[in-house]
Amino acid sequence: MTRWERSVPVYGIPVLTRGFWGLCLFIAFGLVLTGYREVVGLGASVSGMSDPYAWGLWKTFNVMVLTGLGSGGFAVGIAAWVFNNKKLHSVMRVALLTSALAYWTGLAMLGVDVGRPWNFYWVIMPWQWNVSSPLLEIAVCMSLYASVPLLLENLPPIFEYIIYEFPKWRGVAETCEKLMAKVYPFIIGLAYILPMMHQSSLGALMVLGGKRVNVLWQTPCLPIIYVWAAAFLGYNCVTLCLLLAKLAWKRDLDPVVMAELNKITVYLIYAWTAFRFLDILVRGQILHVFTDGYFSFLFWVETALILGSAYVLSTEKGKKLSTMFNANLLCAVGGMIYRFSPTTLAFSAKGSSFYFPAMAEIIVCVTFIAIAVLGYLVAVKLLAILPGTNADWNKMAKYEEKVKPGIQLTGYAPADH
Amino acid sequence: MAKDANAQDTIAQSLKNAGYSRRDFLQLCTTLVATAPMGLALTEKATPAEVAKAVGKAKKPSVVWLHFQDCTGCSETLLRTSKPDVADLIINLISLDYHETLMVACGQQAEDALNSAVKDNEGKFVLVVEGSIPRKDQGIYMKLGGKPAVDVLKEVGSKAAAIIAIGSCASWGGVPSADPNPTDAVGVDSIITNKPIVNIPGCPPNPYTLLGVVLEFAVFGKLPACDDLKRPKFAYDRVIHDHCPRRAHFDAGRFAETFGSPSHREGWCLFKLGCKGPVTHAGCSTRHFNEIPDCWPIGNGSPCFGCTEKSIAFRVPLFDRVDAHGFTATPPDTYAPINSSIGKFGAGAALLVGLAGGAIGGASWAASQKLASSEETIADEAKSNPGGK
Amino acid sequence: MAMTRREAFKNLAKGTLPILAAGCVSAVLPQVAHAEEEERLEANPKYHKTDPAKALGLLYDATRCVGCKSCMVACSQYNELTPDTRQDGLHQAPPALNSYTKNIIKLWRSEDGSDHSYFKQQCMHCIDPGCMNACMFGGLQKDEATGVVWWLGSKCVGCRYCEIACPFHIPSFQWDGFNPKIVKCELCRTPMAKDPTKKQPGCTKVCPTNAVIYGTRPELLKEAKKRIADNPGKYYQSKVFGEHEAGGTQVLYLSRVAFDKIGLPDVGDDSIPSGLKYSHMAYKWLALPIALYAGMVYFAGKNFKDHSHHLAEEQKETGLRAQL
Repeated sequence: MTRWERSVPVYGIPVLTRGFWGLCLFIAFGLVLTGYREVVGLGASVSGMSDPYAWGLWKTFNVMVLTGLGSGGFAVGIAAWVFNNKKLHSVMRVALLTSALAYWTGLAMLGVDVGRPWNFYWVIMPWQWNVSSPLLEIAVCMSLYASVPLLLENLPPIFEYIIYEFPKWRGVAETCEKLMAKVYPFIIGLAYILPMMHQSSLGALMVLGGKRVNVLWQTPCLPIIYVWAAAFLGYNCVTLCLLLAKLAWKRDLDPVVMAELNKITVYLIYAWTAFRFLDILVRGQILHVFTDGYFSFLFWVETALILGSAYVLSTEKGKKLSTMFNANLLCAVGGMIYRFSPTTLAFSAKGSSFYFPAMAEIIVCVTFIAIAVLGYLVAVKLLAILPGTNADWNKMAKYEEKVKPGIQLTGYAPADH
Repeated sequence: MAKDANAQDTIAQSLKNAGYSRRDFLQLCTTLVATAPMGLALTEKATPAEVAKAVGKAKKPSVVWLHFQDCTGCSETLLRTSKPDVADLIINLISLDYHETLMVACGQQAEDALNSAVKDNEGKFVLVVEGSIPRKDQGIYMKLGGKPAVDVLKEVGSKAAAIIAIGSCASWGGVPSADPNPTDAVGVDSIITNKPIVNIPGCPPNPYTLLGVVLEFAVFGKLPACDDLKRPKFAYDRVIHDHCPRRAHFDAGRFAETFGSPSHREGWCLFKLGCKGPVTHAGCSTRHFNEIPDCWPIGNGSPCFGCTEKSIAFRVPLFDRVDAHGFTATPPDTYAPINSSIGKFGAGAALLVGLAGGAIGGASWAASQKLASSEETIADEAKSNPGGK
Repeated sequence: MAMTRREAFKNLAKGTLPILAAGCVSAVLPQVAHAEEEERLEANPKYHKTDPAKALGLLYDATRCVGCKSCMVACSQYNELTPDTRQDGLHQAPPALNSYTKNIIKLWRSEDGSDHSYFKQQCMHCIDPGCMNACMFGGLQKDEATGVVWWLGSKCVGCRYCEIACPFHIPSFQWDGFNPKIVKCELCRTPMAKDPTKKQPGCTKVCPTNAVIYGTRPELLKEAKKRIADNPGKYYQSKVFGEHEAGGTQVLYLSRVAFDKIGLPDVGDDSIPSGLKYSHMAYKWLALPIALYAGMVYFAGKNFKDHSHHLAEEQKETGLRAQL
């Protein structure tokens, strides 16, 4: 039975594949469109946004939904480090990488979405902050998170890469690694509190939306429900990445870890669903669950996808890999729909105005997702991210030593560390 | 204007005898069509030639015209045409058997004229009433040949085929009925209740309105469709504001501030100067007076004072702004709606979303199929090593 | 899946701990939220405390409005805006407030067409504005003296959160162009400052029926209440909209027709920012985050120490460099 012991890069497959170049081409096209948007503004030629629907795909999907999906870093991290769930250590790097890519491309997308980005420099001047604004909290927190703890957490694989591939810089990398190890708890503490703060503030954002957000979603508890949804979305994402790794690169799965991930996902979801229903009950809106037409339907779609998947995962059928994949995928879709609802799907501007993204808007949105995907593909091939066994590592070492003579991947005594 | 021996002549015959050219007649019919493009059977969807034909065939209607508390302005309006022949022409279209201002007779002869006109055409003549009728103190404040007006009206009216109350005074009381109405002046329909009555309010009204009603009666034998105040719809169904030439200025907020000011000279809207156009039913905006374009109050820079309306004329001060409450004008559709409908649904974008969804769905399905074929589960392995590391 | 009772309880705790925590917090928060609410207005430097007796505003009486739209023309002129002729290329006929239009007259008609009313829409200049609360760096500010809510370009990032936060759907964004602004009524703050002979906003100056008038909020409230008292039954619910709505607004409305029909949404009497009072409580002095951080660092630190020892041993055994 496979037991994951360390992270092992994907080897034997070149980085610059046809897929890579295809993605690059698409991204290049998307970036040209982005440049066009910078020149012409956010009007009808570029986006479907209008005054009744001031937030379109970019803010709500790339930032709010995808950073929710990329919350593996803190959700799995808290379980692994704060609650000492040793089984999850081996998947931490995947979680951290997905978080980093989701956040960095999300923040880049945010920079494209705002109309006057040159004024963003006020973020570094606390005396200019309007501390009552949830969006400020998000701006400060997300920027800080993405630039400090998230970055630092993702450095160890890069340090290792330098140590193995660039002997000249080995000393520097080793010193950095040692320094990081000394303050690691402080870094990861920050890496957990900051996302909890801004993921919940993402929920608080829509509290100001007032009656425009349908009653089934609008609640003062929106922050808690949002951050909780981010947590299980993070788990979904990590699980899916691991399953896709098995598919794409024939990586063996560690059943114990997978079972653990599923278990946590299931419990998070049960508690989340219960809390959501309780919240709706307490606010006296339980009838709307059935009588609100389109909104009731949307609510049930979310609930069915999320709760249904959790239930499936908790049964014996959920042990099957294909079922696990489908369940996690559907659950992620449900969770993403949930995060997308208060801002867009369950957001009703007055009258018969509606929002549908424009072509350029969709292409740019997918471009930034493609950048993240590209980053992921490159990273898992170059760096030790995906989990594997020590035997896998030795195999990899043998292969690499043939291809890159002189590289030392094994035979390290503790003194060398 | 004693009994006309040829009262049984058709109108065409009469005009010919009087020496009027067909051209003059057609011109009059054209004006009539312009007066009443809708709501009058005689002119609706008819060309002037068709109207001329219909009118020509009809018998000259016998008309008895009574004056009560009036200023004779309504008669004047009939006569104050821009070209004298037109007035003559009008007179030749009808058989005006009794009209105190226009007839030659006076004294006892006038009395006899009235009696014989009524007797000879009993049940067939049209009674036109001008001026209000006082009721106070048994109606002594207006007498005709020693008889109170109330009685004259009742007597003559009972023998008429139809009654036309011309002018605001005859329609609802007019000037004499202004507060405190010392003579209890009222309109015809307050006195006579069992005859068909058409009110043509105005001070004065447009003569072509009267003409249209009378000729309709002559040609078809019935009166045109009227509203609940007995006003013919073809002339009174709209308010002045609806067709006012200065409406564009109102809509754009260009108002004359004071008389003689530059804004007044520009010909801007007179609303601020107290124009009652928005609440006054009349056709003056399109049918001006004396056959001269723009010859009407607003056209001359004087605000409309609502002469046709009982609640406005001689009640609401001339230069008081009309209350918005009273606006019965239907607003046009050019205003922004309360709720906007902004949003575009691009077919290309929808296609993209569909494609993206389809691609992800397809790829996921393929992935899960591939995973299924491996038939792997995590169950057995986990069971055999429950505690894990 | 076989699980020991111990494991089951542990897992249950992991799942329910958050709920319990949330429950405790939500029980405690309301008690102190009220006090926090008042402090919030004090603490934030952008919340200038406008003297309510001097706050300026408008009173719009829909029963007096005749829909002449002079106010729209005057607003465009005073504020040097380009008239919005995009509908037909000729007439100024914006369909809604937008980046060309700070003030608009809208028409409500009843279903059967028998009744209608006009509605003048522009910024409500709320006493506790949602838009100002939402703006990250103070791009929307409330003038200390007059209470007018105005936009400051040097602080605006163009995130459009103000559009989401305004319950009256007022702030408009310049969607086209690379230097977009947020456009909304500012009670002619700039035109009046530039030209001292202008003593009142354009719209109130030109209104032919005095349907919209300018003055201090107390004066306008007094006038509105007087009209209600003098005309019993004329005004909808004998109410002045804006007296309490959304925490009170400086632009007040009187109408014969129901407010929500003519376009004033049912916002309730709580100000928009008050919806966030629980969130603000949770962040007070950053106490909760700091406490959580300290807790997490403590536990993570302990676990990390164990983990490092374990890693070192592994490296010794396998010769493979330990991964942080």
